[in-house]
Amino acid sequence: MNAHHIIKREYVESIRTKSFLISTILVPVMMVAFLFVPLLSAFFVSGDQVTVAVVDRTGEVAEDFTGALDDTLKDGRPKYLVSPVITSSPDFDREQEELITLMNNERLDILIDIPEDVFSLGKVFYITKGERILEIIEKFENSLGDIILKRRLASEGLDYEQVAALTRGISLEVRKTTKSGSMEERSFLGEWGLVFMFVMILYMALLTWGITIQRSIIEEKGSRVIEVLLSSVSPMDLFVGKIVGIGLLGLTQLIIWVVAGLSIGFYTYYAAAHIFSYINVPPSVLVYFIVYFVLGFLLYASIFTIVGAICSTEQDAQQLQGLVTLPLIVPILVLMLIIQSPNSNIAVVLSLIPIFTPMLMMARVVVLQPDFWQILLSVVILLVSIYGAVYFSSRVFRVGILMYGKRPGMREIIRWYRHA
Amino acid sequence: MDARHMLIIENISKQYDGVRAIDRLSLSIEQGLIYGLLGPNGAGKTTTIRMIMKIILPDEGSIEIFGDPLQKVKKERIGYLPEERGLYKKMRVQEMLAFFGEIKKMDKGMARKAAGEWLEKLDLADYARKKVEDLSKGMQQKVQFISTVIHSPELIILDEPFAGLDPVNVNILKDIILEFRKKSHTIIFSTHMMEQVEKLCDSICLIDKGKKVLEGRLTDIKKQYGRNSVTLRFNGDGSFIGDLPEVDNVSDYGNEVFLRLKEGADSRNVLKAAADRLEVLKFEVAEPSIHDIFIEQVSSK
Repeated sequence: MNAHHIIKREYVESIRTKSFLISTILVPVMMVAFLFVPLLSAFFVSGDQVTVAVVDRTGEVAEDFTGALDDTLKDGRPKYLVSPVITSSPDFDREQEELITLMNNERLDILIDIPEDVFSLGKVFYITKGERILEIIEKFENSLGDIILKRRLASEGLDYEQVAALTRGISLEVRKTTKSGSMEERSFLGEWGLVFMFVMILYMALLTWGITIQRSIIEEKGSRVIEVLLSSVSPMDLFVGKIVGIGLLGLTQLIIWVVAGLSIGFYTYYAAAHIFSYINVPPSVLVYFIVYFVLGFLLYASIFTIVGAICSTEQDAQQLQGLVTLPLIVPILVLMLIIQSPNSNIAVVLSLIPIFTPMLMMARVVVLQPDFWQILLSVVILLVSIYGAVYFSSRVFRVGILMYGKRPGMREIIRWYRHA
Repeated sequence: MDARHMLIIENISKQYDGVRAIDRLSLSIEQGLIYGLLGPNGAGKTTTIRMIMKIILPDEGSIEIFGDPLQKVKKERIGYLPEERGLYKKMRVQEMLAFFGEIKKMDKGMARKAAGEWLEKLDLADYARKKVEDLSKGMQQKVQFISTVIHSPELIILDEPFAGLDPVNVNILKDIILEFRKKSHTIIFSTHMMEQVEKLCDSICLIDKGKKVLEGRLTDIKKQYGRNSVTLRFNGDGSFIGDLPEVDNVSDYGNEVFLRLKEGADSRNVLKAAADRLEVLKFEVAEPSIHDIFIEQVSSK
């Protein structure tokens, strides 16, 4: 065996590249960004002032309503500039028309028109020229709703506070038993996020590193260095060297992420404690993560090796690569289903299909640890498929790396396989 | 088996899509010689070399190197320069050469040192830490050559080694090849550039359409064609020359013809006939150049 030199070169040369550095830093940053930017934007983005006019045909709502619009912006200015407020007029419709003209001249953002029959019909008009800002609509709906509800209750002689206390709903507190018998508090939101995170990282890592192998093979075919290598090492050495070298690279990146994640977690202990309190990661999950990455990688690597070996140019490979990656979307599509009922028949069957196993078994392990025999079975099935895939692709590789020009058809590939 | 034979090929054949690229080819190559594998484009030179390198397998026949069947041959005893050159463009020159040394089982330190020495020798020492892609084409060719011989292999196989080289580099390469020969390494090279063959080779094999046409020591081959060969330059219409009774074979280049005479024919009769009807500028009875033999053999098939 001469593969270790190939492994070493593949690893050392790739780890020095800028793209490795960038992806190692960028992917987690982007992940975090996706999770937190929506939250952060609420804190940091200070909106503009909003001008609101009110036409209150009942004459009874406007005062309470304007009182409720007391929000301030980041810089301390009031968010809502409420004027004019018209509570009495000989001709409300005329007033409204004038306000709409004002709005068309960009001097008014929102017009609230409260009809006379609002207490019975419960309908208020929100007129705007610009975008519908959900946050404002919700705010207005809530405060108007409260005001009108209070009025209705008062007219029936009931106390608002009392009614509110009596009609409070109940919420389900979900706790989950674990294998060890203890009960833990679970937030489904946190769990969903956790599963999603693991599955996405796995999915992206498998695809990225699989395609990296494919490209590396095409590049070496293109630079014609393959034949130089074959004068020193066997095709099998080359095959093994590429897969193991790039696999180790992927593993290195995952380990960097895990270590960096943990140390940042410890460093900001408070935040960590807060996060881990509801996304509780047992160490076994990390072990499964590594196992499914390694096995999944070997399977995907052999598949992408075939793509690389039978194509001569990057453009050539792209179509085929698209075809190969298409079925790999399935795990992402059925992810919700798996999270909701991790032990259903369909979940079990899908998670035992080799190319889906890494992602779906990972999801099941995080949500609700399946019976151990299922995990074992999935690993065995993966190992058998890897053996088959490696056997097939190493033979196609052997012939393909010296072939240039037109991409071979399926029959041609089978012939290579037989001949090798 | 003769121990002095470095490489023995027996009856190998290789078929591609129903076409016989190599047809029952047999060769034997002695140790310490420079052996030229000649043939027109598509004759099967590269295919033969790839089979020697175990990169492709023959459909039938056997190959022995160093007295061992091919399966047992250690690749680190051979240095191979493929026709299609290839280097790692992004690697640094010395590092890459050390890598090529390492996969030939040199230890790391030795490989680095050898790479340094070779770079020095080929005037590339200043580029040792540069990336391969920053080198000129000619320099890359030299680096490629170093990668072939860095481990000082007993058998060196060069597929079209002079293709694309400028005359200066051709000479440098030629000197190195001769140096290796002096140390009784065996060199096989394939080419269709005949001038090099004449200057360098001890033995040659001419193949065409996958078949061996001619094999042997260069001196023997020339002798065999020896005194029967006539070069004739003239002014006038020389088309009748081929019909002369003494002439066996003509290679016509317009104002100059290369003739092979029949066994025992008298060259003076040819001169007489030519002088009668043409203005003879040159008449030479000599051994033919390999170029002529090549053209004659290949075009007569």
